[in-house]
Amino acid sequence: MAANPKPVISADDIGIEFFRSRKRNLSIREIIFKRRMSHPRETFWGLRNISFDIHAGDAVGLVGANGGGKSTLLRVIAGVLLPDEGKVTVRKGVAPLIELTGGFLGDLTARENIYLTAGLHGLTHDQVDERFDEIVDFAGPQVRDGLDMPFRHFSSGMKVRLGFSVVTTLDEPIILVDEVLAVGDKAFKEKCYARMEALLSDNRTLFLVSHSQGDLKRFCTRGLYLKSGELVGDGPMNDVLKQYSQDNR
Amino acid sequence: MATSVVKRLYQQRKVLRIMVQRDLKVRYAQSFLGYIWTILDPLLMSMIYFVVFSLIFQRGGYGLQPYILFLLTGMLPWQWFNGAVTEGSRALQAEAKLIRSTRLPRELWVLRVVMSKGLEYVFSLPILLGFGVVFFIRGEIEPNWRLVLLPVGMAIQFVLLLGVGLLLSPILVLVNDMNRIIRIVLRMFFYATPIIYTLDRAPGVLQTILWFNPMTGILEFYRSGFFPVPMQLPPILISVSVTLGLLFLGRLVFKRLEPTVLKEI
Repeated sequence: MAANPKPVISADDIGIEFFRSRKRNLSIREIIFKRRMSHPRETFWGLRNISFDIHAGDAVGLVGANGGGKSTLLRVIAGVLLPDEGKVTVRKGVAPLIELTGGFLGDLTARENIYLTAGLHGLTHDQVDERFDEIVDFAGPQVRDGLDMPFRHFSSGMKVRLGFSVVTTLDEPIILVDEVLAVGDKAFKEKCYARMEALLSDNRTLFLVSHSQGDLKRFCTRGLYLKSGELVGDGPMNDVLKQYSQDNR
Repeated sequence: MATSVVKRLYQQRKVLRIMVQRDLKVRYAQSFLGYIWTILDPLLMSMIYFVVFSLIFQRGGYGLQPYILFLLTGMLPWQWFNGAVTEGSRALQAEAKLIRSTRLPRELWVLRVVMSKGLEYVFSLPILLGFGVVFFIRGEIEPNWRLVLLPVGMAIQFVLLLGVGLLLSPILVLVNDMNRIIRIVLRMFFYATPIIYTLDRAPGVLQTILWFNPMTGILEFYRSGFFPVPMQLPPILISVSVTLGLLFLGRLVFKRLEPTVLKEI
């Protein structure tokens, strides 16, 4: 790390404000000209005053109760949500394992979808060619048999497996994982663990959201603890887990 | 700021190509039949107006002669305009899943629609040129050097559509009824654009109002190569200014609304 002192992810006092009711009567005029909403009581901060630095090779586990802001933070880092306050700087490419099947289209075949999704994440056709077998192997024999079937005929487990397989094959140095390990059968879970360990030993940076203490302890060295949108703990994974379980006693 | 978005979009040109290719593939999936579908609409509409005005009303002078060629020079780019505004304003909504899962610059989704629809327009140009050649052989038109202005018109229209798409697409995510309003406004715009008539058919004040429709000036570029009438400068200048203004406004609104859109999508 001494060779590369710049953190790969730095969050600088980020905050993001949500509305309590999801669909709201929005005045376009208001939002363009004032930027601030006139009814502050109806909003809450999904994240507030969050600052941290993550260095290359770090394995970070995010803990916290439901609604604490874990997924929100992950999405801010992935760049699919923009903070209202502060700034997050991500200096390397990100492979987001969030909404794994988001890039897939039901009408295309699995084969076409692999090329499309990998393409959206920046792989060229030739690069996908090279990795195609690896991707399909990892997703399992069921997926291989259904390669030329429209994607919407896949079972949800198969969809997630293919999604995981494509995204983890990307060369991105930062990997964001949002509880995807909870899906998939036991055999696939084991494969996922192996793949994640391989990625970690490859000096990738990992950000993991999980409720499983076992997963967190297994992969993560550093923990961040989010409580009602605020960062209340940042330290070695075991300490943060202890703090979290004390809080929830 | 402005340069950084352009740079980021340029970096993603590969993705853009994949998306546009996919759009066209879907469109032209059944090869020739797909192509016919895309040109059938403007072709049939042109024929309807031709029949109504030239054969039933039997009054020339609504447009330039030959009237069917005049109609097509307006109808084909209108198809592009109509398609790109309709789908461009829906671009963010339609790709919600992709927007939630990839960090591609969000402007890309608008740009992609404008490009796909633009390519469809380009592919429809052989039809226009075919009609042009037929009328030329029959000695009914005398094309001139201003045919080379056609790409200029396309460039302006491209920027115009990009501006409109950037302006409308975030609004459509946040305001549910916008869809219907856009449909109605588009229909009004069709008649407020000199597609089935020439600009000078409109009486004084109305004519001046029509100048402020950016498509009015753009059509001048498309038509002047086929028809030997002088180009009208005021609508062209207004068209360019309105286009640039809309692009600026569109970018501003898009940037302002982007964080909110991402939360809602």
